[in-house]
Amino acid sequence: MSHSFTLNGQPVDVAVAGMTSLLSVLRDQFGLLGAKLGCGEGRCGACTVLVDGEPVDSCIYPVANAEGAAVRTVEGLESHGEPLTRIQDALLEHGGVQCGACIPGVVMTLTALLETESSIDDSTIRSSLSGNICRCTGYQKIIDAAQAAANANGGPQ
Amino acid sequence: MTLVGTSARRADGEDKVRGAARYGMDYLEHGTLVAKVLRSTVPAARITELDCSTAASMPGVRAVATAADAPGLSGLVIVKDQSLFATDVIRYVGEPLAAVAADTAEQAEAALAAIDVSLEPLEPVLDLEQSLAEGSRLIHPDWESYETAMPGTRGGNLAWESRVERGDVDAAFDRAHLVVEDEFRTQRQHQSPIEPHVAVARYEQGRYVVHTPTQFPFNVRGRIAELLGIRISDVRVIVPPIGGGFGGKLDVMVEPFACILTRKTGRPVRILNSRSEELATCGPRENAIVRLRTAVAADGTLLAQDGEVIADNGANSSGETVLVANVAPLVLGGTYRIPNARYASKVVYTNTPPTAAFRGVNGPYCVYAQEQHLDRIARELGMDRRTLRMKNLIRAGESMVNGQQLDDAFLTQAMDKVDEIRPWQDAHTERKPFRGVAVVPLTWITNPLPAGASIKLEEDGTATVTCAGAEIGTGAVTTGVLQIVAEQLGLRLEDVRVSPTDTDTGGYDGGAQGSRTTYGMGNAALDAATKVRDQVLEVAATMLEAGSDDLEIVDGTVRVAGVPDQQVAVASVVATAMFDSGPIGASGKFATPPIPFDSGCMAGAAVTSFAAPLYQAHMAEVEVDPETGRVTVLRYVVAQDVGRAINPQMIEGQIQGGVLQGIGYALFENLRLGDNGEVIDDDLESYRLPTAADAPPIDAAILENPCSYGPLGAKGAAEPPIIPVAAVIGCAVSDAIGKTMNELPLTPFSVLQAITEDQDRAVRSDQRHL
Repeated sequence: MSHSFTLNGQPVDVAVAGMTSLLSVLRDQFGLLGAKLGCGEGRCGACTVLVDGEPVDSCIYPVANAEGAAVRTVEGLESHGEPLTRIQDALLEHGGVQCGACIPGVVMTLTALLETESSIDDSTIRSSLSGNICRCTGYQKIIDAAQAAANANGGPQ
Repeated sequence: MTLVGTSARRADGEDKVRGAARYGMDYLEHGTLVAKVLRSTVPAARITELDCSTAASMPGVRAVATAADAPGLSGLVIVKDQSLFATDVIRYVGEPLAAVAADTAEQAEAALAAIDVSLEPLEPVLDLEQSLAEGSRLIHPDWESYETAMPGTRGGNLAWESRVERGDVDAAFDRAHLVVEDEFRTQRQHQSPIEPHVAVARYEQGRYVVHTPTQFPFNVRGRIAELLGIRISDVRVIVPPIGGGFGGKLDVMVEPFACILTRKTGRPVRILNSRSEELATCGPRENAIVRLRTAVAADGTLLAQDGEVIADNGANSSGETVLVANVAPLVLGGTYRIPNARYASKVVYTNTPPTAAFRGVNGPYCVYAQEQHLDRIARELGMDRRTLRMKNLIRAGESMVNGQQLDDAFLTQAMDKVDEIRPWQDAHTERKPFRGVAVVPLTWITNPLPAGASIKLEEDGTATVTCAGAEIGTGAVTTGVLQIVAEQLGLRLEDVRVSPTDTDTGGYDGGAQGSRTTYGMGNAALDAATKVRDQVLEVAATMLEAGSDDLEIVDGTVRVAGVPDQQVAVASVVATAMFDSGPIGASGKFATPPIPFDSGCMAGAAVTSFAAPLYQAHMAEVEVDPETGRVTVLRYVVAQDVGRAINPQMIEGQIQGGVLQGIGYALFENLRLGDNGEVIDDDLESYRLPTAADAPPIDAAILENPCSYGPLGAKGAAEPPIIPVAAVIGCAVSDAIGKTMNELPLTPFSVLQAITEDQDRAVRSDQRHL
């Protein structure tokens, strides 16, 4: 069975069983190792990627569901000539990264938040992160980073 | 130039936010086989038959390993009672019986299912007290035959006992104004880093090369060698970026299976734990019982304490529980003046998965018990709880229970700092029904293990640090140590790098544990950097025709102080030195200096003192919902002495992360065991980890009270923030509902039960009055 979708802007076609997880397609077929197999249960969010702009747990997301969709991973983020995107930069500036295994997923969740929400506060950030477990940081510096990136979004380019 | 003390960005950060960092779980080699482990489903049995012949001949199966392939007995340093595979006897659900390497995971799973196991069931011993009871079945009947690293009290199902005794405890109890006695019970807590245990092993030139994201590569190397019965140096451990550990990756776990199977197949072998295997078989913080009896004078002075800690070792001593048994007495007697004390710390075998190190080891439950107990004493004396603590706090120059004098004690300062941020009096005045407040001081240890590091200067004037320090995620290796080195060498931070962690190239290092990396590795790297700096200055002095004492190194340039135009680039110094005296480079090393203590007061103590002791105080304000029992942490304050803050932002991150792990332990994390001693909570739906919604606002104050033998005064910082959390939240909940809480976690169910018990009693009492 073949499945077609765009992956970080490029059209792709994979021949795997439809129930194959999107995560294993990304890692095993395309060598994109940014999204992590943290729990394999859709609980920790380390495998978060965007499907048509929405964060999904790719470890339990059947590749068949991505048919015709736009799949974006941490490797495909566009930083518009800067070394890092705003949220990536803010995470480092605010000390939001420790072991970092959750961070590719966190980056994708917060990227979606910044792209879709016009008004972002502490509570919208916390609820958007409810599906991303970070065992290291206690979240505060990730939240600070998200707030700073949101503020920068509204500010001068 | 002052790099030390700045919140420099982590050097490995860009890779991590780009998803480009290659963790242990991302590491692959060509032609790698997949390994899977057959694990016991019963807690106690005699193995009468283990037939792997069918499995071995199945499609894709390349090798099967059993007990015969791993003849050694091992254990974490103290008691050697662990075999890699169950040999004749099964001692816990999840114990390895055999391992298979196959071309695919499905083939390996199919082969495991085809292994024939015949068992004769044995009566499982699951409960701590039942295990110690007279006539209980022995989990290790051959306990006397096991090798031990030091003498200690052992026997039957008592795996180990550490004892501390000072003064005349009985006499002090005889003259006490008040004697209070309490018992506390606490649960297992799982480390649950995002990255599971994983290893890739390859057999090459007669040696085992293992890629594994371990916190303590030299320990894993030694433990593989011991279990396989080979030389330590026949194993090489290479550590990719680590996806979290928290103590869970200190010890050998999946690596030996990969080693045996690569030797048998001649192919690289990868083994990756599922989340269920992680929770069910990778040693959590131990469950424990803490009994405290304390003699108090009328004015609140603590006269004596008699304490017993009974900790669950699980089925063997593969984890750190035995090794750190004596930390329990030290932490119970390390914060308050207790002139007469008698502590017994017992580690007990049960037919349950072995327990192991989790950040703070046995500290969180000992402190929980001690602080709940002190609050009860305060209530019985009618004394303010903070006043009781301040009265008995160890001051500079006074001694801990082991006789170790704390010349730099900083507990009152930490308590005062917390009070400055959130005055105790205000918190009390502003109290409302079902709100509670508590404050807890604590003395803790920096892990004292030794470290080696070397530094060489490159032709372009940059520096490379080579060490086997493991970067667990704190930033201690990739940033903290580099800040120390860059400052000492007068280089920009981006011009200093650290080579990958490898036991073949790096000097011995005691692992990323007990907040020791900045302290131990920082000291070793500083020693090496000092030697390298001396070499640079000696060569530059000749080049600049100046005395080396008159030189300074700033931003990669050596210059004569006060004469800015008389200067030479470090790169030129390196080039000159190359053909003059040889390449510039040096090795550094560190061992913690001897710490005086009273050795006569302790028995069976592997940890005898608190090296580079550090001091802190935590305060919490909580609200309890009387309808549901749910606890909300409204406000949290930490004041923590770190000696010298090398990177304040990273320390803050450790405080915030540690506090949230402590909140998980206090309120909901509970790795429950079932009727067969099996882990019930073997997925992240039932074992709930804290989310962003659980994180309270935290005010953190970093105090600098330098350690005379720490690098630039630094002591540990990362481990302790988890330790007082359950205590301070527990005490605040007790304050809110007016009841001592004797068990963790403080789930809505247990809190509601405590509230309604009181209401029931009030109703009954009202009825009596009618």
